[in-house]
Amino acid sequence: MPEQADLLPGTLDLLILKAVSLGPLHGYGVLLRIEQITHGALLVEQGALYPALYRLEHQGLLEAEWGTSDNNRRAKFYTLTAAGRKRLREETESWNRASAAIATALKARPSEG
Amino acid sequence: MLAKLRSLARNLGARGAFEDAMDDEMRFHLENRTADLMRRGLPSAEAARQARLEFGSIEKQKDLARASVGLRLLDEISGDLRYALRTFWRNKGFAAAAIVTLALGIGANTAIFNLIDALLLRSLPVSHPDELLQLTKVGSGAPPDESFSYPMVKALDERQDLFGGVTGFSGATFILGSGESMHRVRGAYVTGAFYETLGLTPVAGRLLARMDDVPGAPAVAVASYAYWQQQFGGSHAAVGQTLLISGTPVTIVGVSPRGFTGANVGSVADLTLPIAVLPQIEPRMAGLLERGNSWLRVLARLRPGVSAADGIARLTAGWPQIAERSIDPRWPPARKASITGVRPVFQPGATGWTYLRGVYVKPLQVLMGVVAIVLLIACANVASLLLARASARQKEIAVRLAIGASRARIVRQLLAESLTLSLAGAAAGILLARVAGDVIVRVISTPQAALVFDLTPNWRVIAFASAVAIVTAILFGIAPALQSTAAGPAPALKNDTRTGTPRSRLLASLVAAQMALSLVLLIGAGLFIRTLRNLHAFDPGFRAEGVLLVGLEERPGRLPASVLEDVRRLPGVISAGVSTHTPLSGSTWSEPALPAGQKLPEWRDTAVFIGASPGFFDTLRMSIVAGRDFTGADTREAPAVAIVNERYAADFFPNQSPLGRRLTAVVRGEPRELEIVGIARNAHTSGLRKAAPPTVFVPYAQLTGNVPTNLSIRVSGSAADLTPALRSLLQPLLPKAPIEVEPLSSYVATTLIRERMLATLAAGFGLLALALAGVGIYGLLAYGVTRRTREIGLRIALGAQPWGVVALMLRGAQAPLAAGLVVGAPIAWAASRSIESMLFGLEPLDPLAIGAAVLALSLIAHIAAYLPARRAARVDPLIALKCE
Repeated sequence: MPEQADLLPGTLDLLILKAVSLGPLHGYGVLLRIEQITHGALLVEQGALYPALYRLEHQGLLEAEWGTSDNNRRAKFYTLTAAGRKRLREETESWNRASAAIATALKARPSEG
Repeated sequence: MLAKLRSLARNLGARGAFEDAMDDEMRFHLENRTADLMRRGLPSAEAARQARLEFGSIEKQKDLARASVGLRLLDEISGDLRYALRTFWRNKGFAAAAIVTLALGIGANTAIFNLIDALLLRSLPVSHPDELLQLTKVGSGAPPDESFSYPMVKALDERQDLFGGVTGFSGATFILGSGESMHRVRGAYVTGAFYETLGLTPVAGRLLARMDDVPGAPAVAVASYAYWQQQFGGSHAAVGQTLLISGTPVTIVGVSPRGFTGANVGSVADLTLPIAVLPQIEPRMAGLLERGNSWLRVLARLRPGVSAADGIARLTAGWPQIAERSIDPRWPPARKASITGVRPVFQPGATGWTYLRGVYVKPLQVLMGVVAIVLLIACANVASLLLARASARQKEIAVRLAIGASRARIVRQLLAESLTLSLAGAAAGILLARVAGDVIVRVISTPQAALVFDLTPNWRVIAFASAVAIVTAILFGIAPALQSTAAGPAPALKNDTRTGTPRSRLLASLVAAQMALSLVLLIGAGLFIRTLRNLHAFDPGFRAEGVLLVGLEERPGRLPASVLEDVRRLPGVISAGVSTHTPLSGSTWSEPALPAGQKLPEWRDTAVFIGASPGFFDTLRMSIVAGRDFTGADTREAPAVAIVNERYAADFFPNQSPLGRRLTAVVRGEPRELEIVGIARNAHTSGLRKAAPPTVFVPYAQLTGNVPTNLSIRVSGSAADLTPALRSLLQPLLPKAPIEVEPLSSYVATTLIRERMLATLAAGFGLLALALAGVGIYGLLAYGVTRRTREIGLRIALGAQPWGVVALMLRGAQAPLAAGLVVGAPIAWAASRSIESMLFGLEPLDPLAIGAAVLALSLIAHIAAYLPARRAARVDPLIALKCE
């Protein structure tokens, strides 16, 4: 098992939106998908997932519908709404900008002189 | 934002489903996780344990999930409300006192608002009332005029390119039945387009139509729903039945919808007749249908597709043609100009029409201010109660703060309690307002003008009461809530009695505010009461007490002199006279009359005329200050004579005696020369607050044609004693109408109704304010005595006398009283200035009213303070000091 890092604050929402953007998922599926796409590098506290899902649904970024899971059980499936897609795009851009800036900052060396 | 509201509404609407779904979802997660863990080789029990461990506390996650969709706040608020109800159930006395106080305050406000709503805001129960327009004439220097003549309304109704319908209407009283069963029924005369314009459909039969309003049409009537129920038991057989109205048979053709009582707000039309029928019913009034008489209010509805601006522009352009229809070519130019020179204007007509608006708008605004002050006083009382209670709950609050509740959370809890109290007060207040509204309407109704309002609380009234309740809750709740949480948990838990009960500075300022507001109300009440008393004591130039009036206006022709002799011979009659008009009756007659030699104006009256018989002046105690009264010798054969009042003499014969001089006048259309034989004292015949108009009295016996006839009779006993005798004597003269005997004093009462309403209600609310302020003072002192028991005990132990202790405690009431008087005086001054025009015979700075208010307030403050002060004087020093 690779070494796991704690989630940075505020990144759970972004990861959920990303996970759901790849296809409709139930709550447990979101957890598995995040593990899969981060190659298990990030630790998502399982319980914290649900308040976040409910919040995103409440904000109109996710839509939920009851359907049938792979093992033929009734499960609540989340899909991205148009607003969610827009938010994901914005958050991804700002994340990229921020991480690039931080990466640049961290590469800085004492200037000669 | 919208998405959030939608989601909140969805989750609220199905709260149970939300919880179930959340359970299902989390269970599904745990089961899947367990299955995955088992696939990795864990035994099933261990896998389930591991899954739950990883998930964390299910309840905590659920709660976070609820919070994230906004449900937790609601849960907390409903919890707060439940907690508030439980607390109040345990403190029933406190809750009852607060709710009753609030119910009085909110109820008073709702009652007055309900009246304002009924008078000004309520739409007529017709289809699309907001489309109705009321037509008004403006211009030619005169005030806006809402009256139109019958031919003009007809001309307007013909403009079907502009209007979907135009109707004119006027209230009326019909005399129904014959002989013994004759009685009056309130109704209305309307043009044929009335019901069509209002968009009403009949409950039975048909409503009036344009074909009913043409000369020679059969006499028909529409009954109101209430009249139909009451007289015909709601039977469909009523349609087609014939009523006798002033002896003329009138057929009922239909029933108007339930709830509709006519377009005149405040009065009820039980029967509605087309105007074209009026000459058959009241031949004497046939002139109303002619061009010269403007007596109809007009409501109109524009044709669909015509905008208001477009409509008024086209109507203005077409005005000359419409005006032409209601002008007699023989009229003098000035009179013609009064109709052609005006400009039509539309006003919103949704709320119908009533003269009451002009009469009561200002008093109701004043009363709205009065009840707002009462509510503020009530708020201060409830805030004091809450403060006192907060000190008792200091420990509870301290414990909650200590175990981690935020201050905001506790303030919210305390405000929820205030809101609960206030909403309960509002609910009781709405019921109270319903009763109070009926009482007020009864106060302002008279036999001459019975008022009927729909006072059922509607959404506007309920919304008003709720808004007042919420504002009130914040007003009285916020200060105590902030103060009781300000100290933090430490002092109360340390059981420190010095800070355990907060100092009463806030309480004292509340009481001072109550005193100031009460002073304003009491001074206002004093001014209104003094105004009413001044008007009662005012000598109007005639004496109304002991005078009975009998109207014989329905009788054609003059009254034979012998009838007057018969009346004078009845036992109990002191004197009697006949006149065309009586004081304060509201109807007047005016003519042009100028000193002989001057040219009479073409179309302008210069004097009020009254035809009077010998005995009229004597009966009303109107004095003749110079010259002579009319006598039996002033017959039609004798020279034409007149008596003028002092005002007329001063206006037209300045600095000279008019006695013996001649007047040129037109009397009932005939040019006449009158010799002035007497001067009468000025009498306020058209209203106590209106100056006596220039008046010319002419002998009743010298008038010709159908003149109105009224009997004035001065009696020594009561009206009831004489009524049967008068009825049997006079009824044969008046076969088509019932004889009605009314005391002249009831007309005086009618003219004072606005003043009486203001005086009665202001005094009532003033007393209420006084009582509330007394309770406030009592509370302040009782609280102070409890807080200072130890100090008082110490003082007594050191030798203080009981009266000294009482004086010490009374000083606690005198400080807020003095502060209240100082703050209240300028407010009262400003408030009195704003009601100056409604006062009579006194200045806004009336020393008597101010003195009485200050005295009453000081007295109540001291009485209320004395009870706890006496208790303080009886404190046993041993007990007081030992309780530490």
